[in-house]
Amino acid sequence: MASTSPTIAGAGLAERPRRSRVPARLDLLQSATGLVLALFMWGHMFFVSTILVSKDFMWTVTKMFEGYFIFGRPYPGIVSVIVFGILVLFVAHAFLAVRKLPISFRQWQMYRGHMKVMKHEDTTLWWVQAVTGFMLFFLVTVHLYQMLMHPGLIGPYESADRVWTGRWWPLYLVMLFAVELHGGIGLYRLAVKWGWFERGDADATRATLKKAKWVLTVFFLVLGLATLAAYMKIGYEHADRAGERYVPASVQPGAVQ
Amino acid sequence: MKVVYTDVLVIGGGLAGLRLAIAARRRGHDALILSLVPPKRSHSKAAQGGMQASLGNVIKGQGDNEDVHFEDTVRGSDWGADQEVVRMFVNTAPKAVRELAAWGVPWSRVRKGDRQVVINGQKVTITERDEAHGLVAQRDFGGTKKWRTCYVSDCTGHAMLQAVGDQAIAAAIPVHERTEALALIHDGGRCYGAVVRDLVTGTLSAYLAKATAITTGGAGRLYRVTTNAVICEGIGHAIALETGVAALGNMEAVQFHPTGIFPAGILVTEGCRGDGGLLKDADGHRFMPDYEPEKKELASRDVVSRRMEEHIAKGKGVKSRFGDHLWLDITLLGEQHIRHNLREVYEICHYFMGVDPVKDMIPVRPAQHYTMGGVRTKPSGESPTLKGLFSAGEAACWDMHGFNRLGGNSVAETVVAGMIVGEYVADFCDRAENDVNIPTGVVREFLEREQAKLDRLAQGGGSEDAAKLKARMQEIMTAKVGIFRRGKDLEEAVDELQELLVRSRSIGLRSRAPGPNPELVTAYRTQKMLRLALTVAYGALTRTESRGAHFREDHPRRDDAQWLKRTLATWKSDADTLPTLDYEPLDIRRMELPPGWRGYGAKDYTDHPDTAARQAEVDALKEKHADRFARQRALMPYDHLLPQRLKGRNERIDERFPAAPGGAGDTPESAFAWESE
Amino acid sequence: MTTTTIVKAPSTSAPPAPAAAAAPAGGVATGAKIRVHALRYNPQEPGSVPHMQTYELEQTEGMTLFIALSEIRETLDPTLQFDFVCRAGICGSCAMMVNGRPTLACRTLTRDVGPDITLAPLPVFELIGDLSVNTGRWMRGTSERLEAWLHGDPQARDICRIEEPMEPELAEKLNELDRCVECGCCVAACGTARMRPDFVGAVGMAKIARFRLDPRDKRTDDDYYELVGTDDGVFGCMSLLACHDVCPKDLPLQTQIAFLRRKMAGKGWA
Ligand SMILES: Cc1cc2nc3c(=O)[nH]c(=O)nc-3n(C[C@H](O)[C@H](O)[C@H](O)COP(=O)(O)OP(=O)(O)OC[C@H]3O[C@@H](n4cnc5c(N)ncnc54)[C@H](O)[C@@H]3O)c2cc1C
Ligand code: HEM
Ligand code: HEM
Ligand code: SF4
Ligand code: F3S
Ligand code: FES
Repeated sequence: MASTSPTIAGAGLAERPRRSRVPARLDLLQSATGLVLALFMWGHMFFVSTILVSKDFMWTVTKMFEGYFIFGRPYPGIVSVIVFGILVLFVAHAFLAVRKLPISFRQWQMYRGHMKVMKHEDTTLWWVQAVTGFMLFFLVTVHLYQMLMHPGLIGPYESADRVWTGRWWPLYLVMLFAVELHGGIGLYRLAVKWGWFERGDADATRATLKKAKWVLTVFFLVLGLATLAAYMKIGYEHADRAGERYVPASVQPGAVQ
Repeated sequence: MKVVYTDVLVIGGGLAGLRLAIAARRRGHDALILSLVPPKRSHSKAAQGGMQASLGNVIKGQGDNEDVHFEDTVRGSDWGADQEVVRMFVNTAPKAVRELAAWGVPWSRVRKGDRQVVINGQKVTITERDEAHGLVAQRDFGGTKKWRTCYVSDCTGHAMLQAVGDQAIAAAIPVHERTEALALIHDGGRCYGAVVRDLVTGTLSAYLAKATAITTGGAGRLYRVTTNAVICEGIGHAIALETGVAALGNMEAVQFHPTGIFPAGILVTEGCRGDGGLLKDADGHRFMPDYEPEKKELASRDVVSRRMEEHIAKGKGVKSRFGDHLWLDITLLGEQHIRHNLREVYEICHYFMGVDPVKDMIPVRPAQHYTMGGVRTKPSGESPTLKGLFSAGEAACWDMHGFNRLGGNSVAETVVAGMIVGEYVADFCDRAENDVNIPTGVVREFLEREQAKLDRLAQGGGSEDAAKLKARMQEIMTAKVGIFRRGKDLEEAVDELQELLVRSRSIGLRSRAPGPNPELVTAYRTQKMLRLALTVAYGALTRTESRGAHFREDHPRRDDAQWLKRTLATWKSDADTLPTLDYEPLDIRRMELPPGWRGYGAKDYTDHPDTAARQAEVDALKEKHADRFARQRALMPYDHLLPQRLKGRNERIDERFPAAPGGAGDTPESAFAWESE
Repeated sequence: MTTTTIVKAPSTSAPPAPAAAAAPAGGVATGAKIRVHALRYNPQEPGSVPHMQTYELEQTEGMTLFIALSEIRETLDPTLQFDFVCRAGICGSCAMMVNGRPTLACRTLTRDVGPDITLAPLPVFELIGDLSVNTGRWMRGTSERLEAWLHGDPQARDICRIEEPMEPELAEKLNELDRCVECGCCVAACGTARMRPDFVGAVGMAKIARFRLDPRDKRTDDDYYELVGTDDGVFGCMSLLACHDVCPKDLPLQTQIAFLRRKMAGKGWA
């Protein structure tokens, strides 16, 4: 493959060392990690919200992740592996995305001032994304550490006790808003950044995308808040027996756990 | 004393200046461009309609060639043009379009098959040839027999300037933006460069060069109502005039464009009418066929503008709070056409008037548009009186437009002149005897003189307000030196302008802000513009005939017997309040196309005694030669005037070159090869 | 920004029309007053500090910012600096921040943005004074850096011969991308450009996209990668799209940047 046309060789570029391909790869990776994380979050929200259906259902889903229905007994280690995978993605994404954040207070101030006078939605949304991303860095690390270390402590009572008695709910509340805003904007940005779904009229496509973004964000926020409320309610009612593991009625007689 | 040296100093970064600099640079000479504004903001940008070149690709252009283009241009000029120069021009214009195509101009292209166009208010279907598919398209324009105007939608000038500007950057030609040439440095016989003011810091420096070229564009701002940009103040003309040696030719020849939007004066392109737009009056009546049954809306500009003013004078104008106007109706072209092919027009109507040209008519009235006059040069672009001074483009008068230029001939001229004059400039620089070797004393003297003038304005404590003088001048020019001219008005104009000139010697400034100081700029420019205005007005007063755009109500006939000559104005001394006028006769005995009726407008002229004889001679020669090239050569040889690399015929669909043996393309007639670097 | 001064037009009579303004003498006053708040700063003047200055004038029919500013300069304050060339929205000279957003001042009607109009020079570009900035130098620098000119076939092409044909649709598409007037609005509107001075800006990317589309340009994607394949180039763009939203010539910047990004990212593993 002739990677350099004679034209550009004539312009003297051929003698220059070739530019690194790393920026292209990093850009792709940033988007890819963001995309996977965002899609994972959708799945994750549906998973934790199973509590809204019933405790048993949530328990079933949890056990499914632990391989209970394949191996006949739970292996929480599987969850640890998944968590670890997500953690790696998360760290990678954070590492890639942080390059885009302002590197000095001056830059930060510039952007703020710019945003305030421009009053331009997408410009403001980026700022929201940057701020929420920064928050997520701390919040999610804690959450993931917890999940990594105690993968077995997931379940209708276990989670609810953590949320209520363990006082994790404020963290989750903040995290919920942060991640839904961040992920929603992120997905919208991915679409416009790479020109997905674009047919003919870019402006119309973008308007549709933005509407879809808001609908999704609101949906997941409502779902998340309801879920959080459910855990808090269960946790509150279960507070005096905090620490007790959940065992569904169906498996109670012979249950060993 | 800050001095900058270069080989070729190009004053003006419009199409003409850029192309000229590229030509010189490619011949190995250093070129440096000065410009009031970044070059791509020059007024060449504003050309919407297109560029004439006889490619003959579209079906309505079939049969077009240099000969037809030549005749149209000479008739358009009302025989004021230098016919040899016109020949050089028409032969180079197709090359210029093709060169620009190779440089990236996205010329609109021909699509084969049927398409609907509006001709003469009627929808007509025409069929384009298969072999023309994808070639550069042409549209109809005023004053032309064939569809000849190549275009890029309706932002032709923009696209051309973009491509030529980019090529200048590619050639690494330095442009000193935001600089203004204030005076030419010369010793009465040889031009050495210019005194230049930096418009950011306000400092003066000397730029010295072997060759200096004035490519500063038009002087429309002498008028209040003009389509020209605010920087088209004619300073380039003025500094040539102020040498007292170089002459300005035909400054009274000022073109008015029929369709300036009213009242802002912003232009809507002739392409509107070319594409089928109509002019209507207060009653919604299409009046042009009443006056010009043959060419109607598409007669030459001077004719259409005059007919419009005539119609308004009859009380048929639309009354508005700003005065009377007429309508331009393009609604019949349809939304698709307007929003794509006339997009710029759409935007202008939308943003500046809140008018939607798809549904509404556009208020128009003629506005000053083009400066036919300019720095008088030989066909080589060099001043016959000041060695080393060249000029090209709208600022120049090598004289291809005479007393009226055709729409589309002007941007074509800029590039063609850049190509031709650029070669001559390079030739000039090649010759060892033209090396500059000037005493620093002369440079210092010029610098000090210009500095002193500025200091006097800034600190002299004068009492006159430059902005007011300038406004008054523009008022006078529009009212009294406009489309219809009368001896009495012109006399009054000359008197009052002289008065203003005297008053301008005691302009005072309100502010002494260092740096660019816009007030100071207005002050010194006003002084220069007044001289130019006087040159226009005085020339118009003296020329007691009507020719092209110069129309005297009191002398409505074209008078070849008395006035087949070019006005040459010089400004002998600073103390003068009038230019010195001389006349340079045009030689009918050497004309390829002797004077006659233009084919539109009034059939009203006095013949020159030589006309009949020359006509007979021409007819006999035409009889004798069947081949059009041989005929042309017999009538008026001009080939010797073209630089070597621009000689050669132009290929057309109907005039194919024989296939070259090696396929590589060169026939003996086309020796020129385009080089990419 | 420290002091604020107010300059008023004499209220007894309508201010005379500026000579530069195209409207006939006097204009037609609409009775409404507008207040123009302009940023003032002359770097050439020792001791000059940036401050806002307010000018009050009467609005006339069809008044654009070009007419308003010309009138201020001619009747109220001869020192006010700004740039207009074509005054018809075609040259790109007059871009400035109008009420916080970059736009072409000459085609902005005062009645659409008034009665209080805040004007500031475009950020990012070197300030010349007041509302005037050096976009020209920036654009030339960008052109040089991106080699933003058509790199034609190095083989000689004979300009006497019939030109190379091109599909009419392609020519139209090229023209669409060629319409950029280098006004700088897209750069001034871009948060990335504000934070990172070396960022190429939408105008730079649009230029590359334009030449890439042009079959007459013989460069390959590898060549273009050399020019924009960096974190100051297309990968630096954070898709804020303010560029797209402010471009006075409606260039399809969003589409073009996305397109360029796909092509250049494709080179990452190619
Ligand atoms: C609205 C409009 C539409 C037009 N449409 C068409 C059309 O469709 N077809 C056509 O053929 N023609 C058209 N014309 C005419 C044509 O555009 C111009 O005649 C032509 O572009 C002039 O080019 P130029 O290079 O000579 O000058 P310009 O492009 O005007 O450039 C002049 C240059 O000189 C510089 N300059 C001036 N004074 C000084 C100084 N003292 N020191 C340093 N630099 C200086 C300026 O900065 C500028 O760079 C149109 C004109 C107008 C006004
Ligand atoms: C450490 C925590 C995080 C930080 C600091 C962070 C930061 C950022 C930043 C600054 C961007 C914008 C990048 C750009 O404009 O080019 C971004 C994009 C994105 N983020 Fe995050 N983020 C974090 C976590 C997450 C998580 C948990 C998700 C999943 C929901 C996510 C999803 C996305 C997506 C989809 C994008 C768009 C990707 C792109 O533009 O290429 N991020 N992130
Ligand atoms: C594989 C990794 C993960 C696992 C196994 C996991 C598991 C859980 C579980 C079990 C809960 C319920 C509360 C609890 O038990 O404490 C929860 C809640 C939550 N998680 Fe995760 N999580 C993971 C990754 C993440 C990531 C990466 C994010 C954010 C970027 C996240 C954000 C949240 C939020 C916001 C809640 C609260 C939801 C609500 O109450 O509506 N989680 N998670
Ligand atoms: S892309 Fe649009 S906003 Fe940017 S410089 Fe060009 S015309 Fe101006
Ligand atoms: S605003 Fe800036 S970040 Fe990109 S999409 Fe436009 S260049
Ligand atoms: S002055 Fe030319 S775009 Fe505004």
